[in-house]
Amino acid sequence: MLNSLREKINNFPRGTELRTKIREMVDNRVRIITAGLSMKEIRAVLRGDPPTEKPNPRYKVITTSFVAHLRPRYYPKAATWFTHTFRLGWFTTFFFVVELVTGMVLMIYYVPFPDQAYESILAIESNVFLGELMRDLHRLGAEGMVLFTWLHMFRTYFTGSYKGQRSFTWLTGVALLAITAWLSFSGYLLTWDQLGYWAITVGSSMAESGPVVGPALNLLLRGAPDIGAGGLLRFYLNHVILFPLIAILVISIHYYKVSREHSISLPATVEEGKLTKEERKEATRRIDLIPDLLTHELFLTSLGILIMLVILYFGLFASPLETHANPQQTPLDTKAPWYFWWLQGLLKIDPASIIENMLAGIGITVELSSILNSKFIMGLVIPPVLIGILVGVPYIDRNPSRLAKNRPFAIGWGIAWIFILLALSYMGLPEFGVETPLATRIIQDLAPEEGLGELRATPYEELIPGVYTVGEDYGRDLCPSGYSYEDHESGELVIGCPHLTAVFTEYSEKLLIGEEEGKLTDLHATMTIEDFAPSLRRVIMHIEWFDDDASIDKEYEKQYFLHLDRVREH
Amino acid sequence: MKKIHLEIIFGTVFILISALLLAIMAVKEQDRLGEEGRLSAYEGQQRASQIEFGAGIYETNCTSCHGEYGQGIPGKAPCLRCEELFSARMEEIGWQGSLEEYVESVVTTGRQVSTRPELYQGEGLGSPVMPTWSEAFGGPLREDQVKSVAAFVANFEEWGLNPELVPTPVIALPPDDPTALGRLVFVQQGCIGCHTVEGLSTATTGPVLNGLADRAGSTVDGMDAEEYIKNSIKNPSDYVVSEFNDGLMPANFSELITDEEMDLLLSFLLTLSE
Ligand code: HEC
Ligand code: HEC
Ligand code: HEM
Repeated sequence: MLNSLREKINNFPRGTELRTKIREMVDNRVRIITAGLSMKEIRAVLRGDPPTEKPNPRYKVITTSFVAHLRPRYYPKAATWFTHTFRLGWFTTFFFVVELVTGMVLMIYYVPFPDQAYESILAIESNVFLGELMRDLHRLGAEGMVLFTWLHMFRTYFTGSYKGQRSFTWLTGVALLAITAWLSFSGYLLTWDQLGYWAITVGSSMAESGPVVGPALNLLLRGAPDIGAGGLLRFYLNHVILFPLIAILVISIHYYKVSREHSISLPATVEEGKLTKEERKEATRRIDLIPDLLTHELFLTSLGILIMLVILYFGLFASPLETHANPQQTPLDTKAPWYFWWLQGLLKIDPASIIENMLAGIGITVELSSILNSKFIMGLVIPPVLIGILVGVPYIDRNPSRLAKNRPFAIGWGIAWIFILLALSYMGLPEFGVETPLATRIIQDLAPEEGLGELRATPYEELIPGVYTVGEDYGRDLCPSGYSYEDHESGELVIGCPHLTAVFTEYSEKLLIGEEEGKLTDLHATMTIEDFAPSLRRVIMHIEWFDDDASIDKEYEKQYFLHLDRVREH
Repeated sequence: MKKIHLEIIFGTVFILISALLLAIMAVKEQDRLGEEGRLSAYEGQQRASQIEFGAGIYETNCTSCHGEYGQGIPGKAPCLRCEELFSARMEEIGWQGSLEEYVESVVTTGRQVSTRPELYQGEGLGSPVMPTWSEAFGGPLREDQVKSVAAFVANFEEWGLNPELVPTPVIALPPDDPTALGRLVFVQQGCIGCHTVEGLSTATTGPVLNGLADRAGSTVDGMDAEEYIKNSIKNPSDYVVSEFNDGLMPANFSELITDEEMDLLLSFLLTLSE
């Protein structure tokens, strides 16, 4: 026994022999981990040298590794031209990954119950290390993902990349558009503030308007007639488990089609255009995943990260957070996120009255509003029809050519749709087509229900108690002459009350213009400031006027409580 | 240089810049979380917005009993900004926690029976003197709203302990219209807590005052309307309106209402015809 051991020790390789032996062992491990690359090969990859073995081991990785088998071995050069894809699909994926990572961090701190959700968001913003950054990244990434999904769709449409075999890729893409929309929609509720709560309430009320199944659908969505604990939990689980998993699955299918089956389409100019043999050869030259595409993607990743961080570092983007959700108080302006403005715009169209008017034009009077309610038609019928059209694109457009000049009709349609979406989005703006009484509007502009506004930005020291009547002459400054104060935040010495005076001037001017234009006859308006509690003042805006149309006196009053230590800027 | 090399160089530079930005943000964040001053400033802001929010809740739910400014309405509900609540009340009740917790608990559950039944009888018939407010007990307010209104009440401490700081309210109406000002005195003194005046209040503890101007001159022989009303306010027990019990209307308004305010009040009440 001892002998055999001694023999083993004697035979143990040393010197160069030992080194080769060790290298072989390490190499073996590395090949297993990288699914086919040797150390030498990795060195060659990093140096940018050609493959060291035949068959190309860099392709072997892609056939054997589970993760890498989603990736292409190579793309033809022209398919990687920046002006062909603009990397839009790639960046959509990038944002999705950002969402997964930041989302997992947020999940640790977020509590999906109505009585704690909002406070947990406040805690993330204020007490969690880099919590605010995580939340901003998650929100920015979400908007980025939605935006880039749309752009990517338009890109593939305009390059005609949905044709032929790629129609299935397009179909999975349409599914991804819907999944992305649902992911962002469900995330919107989670902050449990007025913004999210009411956007989702308005959004899900569309489901309710449907015939027969409407109420059941609404119940399924909200978990109760109104959004409460059940609804929040449902949205949360949808947002953090169900739909991320579905998205991962469908993105994988979508991408597998592109990478392994059809490759990215060649630009039409290469596929169908007239190129010299040389040019064609160069355009279809293989660009390998390892190392070229991979390096490029790492570069794009670093670029993406840098851009997001720069945006947040310089405060160019901040996640909104309004006051706690309040089912009893419908905000004056319910705001859907910008990528749903087109839908909000659709909802403002009333098909019944349009048809009624058209028929009235040719002398027929009908009453349609009871059958054609706009929530139902515009919210429940039109969007599925739009999705149907999208799904049908490859089958409707049977034109085999992908060259723009051969498909003027399809390109025209695409451009028309962009304008339609923009126009609908414009109509979806909260201000559009919603008639708010002038007095309400003026006060809302000066002191919006949510956000800061001029009035709330006024320093406490300028809120001198008194009754200020619109139309009276207060001289250049609202405060008594000789008044000056030291701002408790900045320590600056301020003479007079410039801020309050500006607020009052704006209030007066807008009202007096309204009076001149005949919208506010017999105007009597005041702004009253009084002490309400220690360090707390109340500002009451009170407007009385005579409504000519209804021939009655009307009044509108709104009060604001302003505390010494409140936030004056963001 | 090949494209791939440029990408490696720029990619590395981008990552380094990103790491730098992240490091700066992390250091700032560390300071923010670590520094006492900054954090307390942030907490101060949170507190401020909580008090502002609570003020709105107070204004819509509590003024009918506790008065427009928390000054209380004699016979209806106690003052919430007076010294008593902040000095003696906790001991009197035997409350161990903080004042704010006390307020929160009273608001959450309300009071079935007053702890001072000689002062506050309520509407009788088993209805609570102060209703339950928390959703948890069937009231209208969410937990965060109860907390905010409690923060608002607790914020009165400064005035409670220093009564000289309490300012006289600014009158929120055109200063030259005695009727409008009288209406305001009527609101501020808490008369709305017991009397119905059409378009202003709906309380039923005392008689409806619409029509007062018509009947006041003929209620007591030898007293004109002005005299009668003034007397009804200052000495309510002199002539008790039938169907109402004596002692319900507080007898101390003569101390609470200045002569000037009384004149304004009269000019308002004298407009209340049928
Ligand atoms: C229907 C009239 C009524 C309303 C409305 C009302 N209260 Fe009261 N409240 C009372 C009465 C009566 C008491 C005295 C109970 C007692 O003496 O035990 C009281 C007591 C209190 C107390 C305890 C004071 C003390 O001295 O112990 C607080 C705090 C309080 N109320 C806050 C509020 C707040 C906040 C609201 C609004 C959300 C409100 N109340 C609404 C009638 C009312
Ligand atoms: C706690 C409840 C309460 C409050 C607060 C209260 N009242 Fe009364 N008031 C009554 C009751 C009950 C009566 C009827 C019994 C009586 O005459 O004493 C009454 C009677 C009156 C009358 C006589 C009415 C008539 O028809 O003859 C006048 C006037 C009056 N109140 C004015 C006021 C004014 C002004 C205030 C505010 C400063 C006020 N009250 C506050 C309960 C109240
Ligand atoms: C979550 C959303 C999506 C992701 C992550 C995604 C990802 C990708 C990626 C990475 C590619 C490779 C080419 C490129 O970068 O452009 C691609 C190609 C493609 N995508 Fe998407 N996509 C999404 C949504 C959509 C949508 C909404 C559509 C259209 C309705 C669509 C249709 C296509 C088509 C047709 C191709 C093939 C393009 C070609 O061959 O040139 N995709 N997608």
